[in-house]
Amino acid sequence: MKDFKVLEIKTSVFADNNIQAGKLREELKEKKVFLLNLMSSPGAGKTTTLVGTINALKNDLKIGVMEADIDSDVDTRTISQTGAKAIQLHTGGMCHLDAQMTRQGLEGLDPDGLDVVILENVGNLVCPAEFDTGAVKNAMILSVPEGDDKPLKYPLMFSICDVVLINKMDVLPYFNFDLEKCKENIRLRNPNAIIIPISALKEEGLKEWTDWLHNAVISWCE
Amino acid sequence: MHELGVLNSMVHTIERIVKEQNVTEVSKLVIEVGELSGMVPRYLEQSWPAASYKTFMENTELELIVIPGIVKCKGCGRVFNAVYSDLSCPDCGCRDMEILEGDDMIIKEIVCS
Ligand SMILES: Nc1nc2c(ncn2[C@@H]2O[C@H](COP(=O)(O)OP(=O)(O)O)[C@@H](O)[C@H]2O)c(=O)[nH]1
Ligand SMILES: [Mg+2]
Ligand SMILES: [Zn+2]
Repeated sequence: MKDFKVLEIKTSVFADNNIQAGKLREELKEKKVFLLNLMSSPGAGKTTTLVGTINALKNDLKIGVMEADIDSDVDTRTISQTGAKAIQLHTGGMCHLDAQMTRQGLEGLDPDGLDVVILENVGNLVCPAEFDTGAVKNAMILSVPEGDDKPLKYPLMFSICDVVLINKMDVLPYFNFDLEKCKENIRLRNPNAIIIPISALKEEGLKEWTDWLHNAVISWCE
Repeated sequence: MHELGVLNSMVHTIERIVKEQNVTEVSKLVIEVGELSGMVPRYLEQSWPAASYKTFMENTELELIVIPGIVKCKGCGRVFNAVYSDLSCPDCGCRDMEILEGDDMIIKEIVCS
């Protein structure tokens, strides 16, 4: 009879990815490169926000962008027009990026000489929340048309984000969206999240966000 | 599909564990899936052949144990299954709750032969 053995391990299925992500973060610390993971539902305004963010910070920081939102290079071209270094990652239809794919993306981008790399993650509020990419900070965008109860429906996403941008504030009058209620719902999931209402389209409210990012990059790289 | 990506990640985790244990063949995996983990057991089962294809676990059986999504209301303290209560407490309507169990997906056992 063959040997028969049961390993009782009680380990998270994400254990390996978490280890990879931790390693990547350590390497980024050594290289003094800040990695931001930006997430949202499709169309919430990641690319538009990135353009405004790059324009506000490009004189102070060297910025690179990795576009992972489902295979289309339109966003990459939009970002390239700001002068930032941008590449398109081909996720092959995957619903998220893991630490390994993020590492490969960084190798493709070649972050030497960059201060900050922003990853525009796949538009999705479920899967990206489960996979640590190795990013230093996580930010997400919730847009007004999505509703103020999103934080209740996607608790994990809100609980892992350092910053929540509430975008499309310019259309607030047309939607049944209660900003205070939304903030309350976010705080239920994450009391420490920094919440910043913006309009990426009108470039309003961006300063608080870009100041936060600028400071986060400086304290990581010093 | 979401479940496929999660299983791919799990295969890597298990690969590392069995290497450490000097095991080469795995006959069965026992996985605990929480009702609040975002993972659908039926989709996990359907994705397993694709996730294990051409890996050392191609012939490994996947056994899933569903863990109920149990939460505690921070308003009145009631403990209940969140899956059947539409995100709010059936007693006081409060939407602030602490998850006690069932938000995880855990590798419980690796059966080696
Ligand atoms: N009204 C309004 N529309 C916006 C705003 N930000 C982005 N949009 C629009 O929303 C759509 C999706 O934006 P995009 O940045 O491509 O979203 P992504 O898919 O998350 O990258 C585009 O048509 C944008 O012009 C905003 O602040 N207000
Ligand atoms: Mg985009
Ligand atoms: Zn209650």
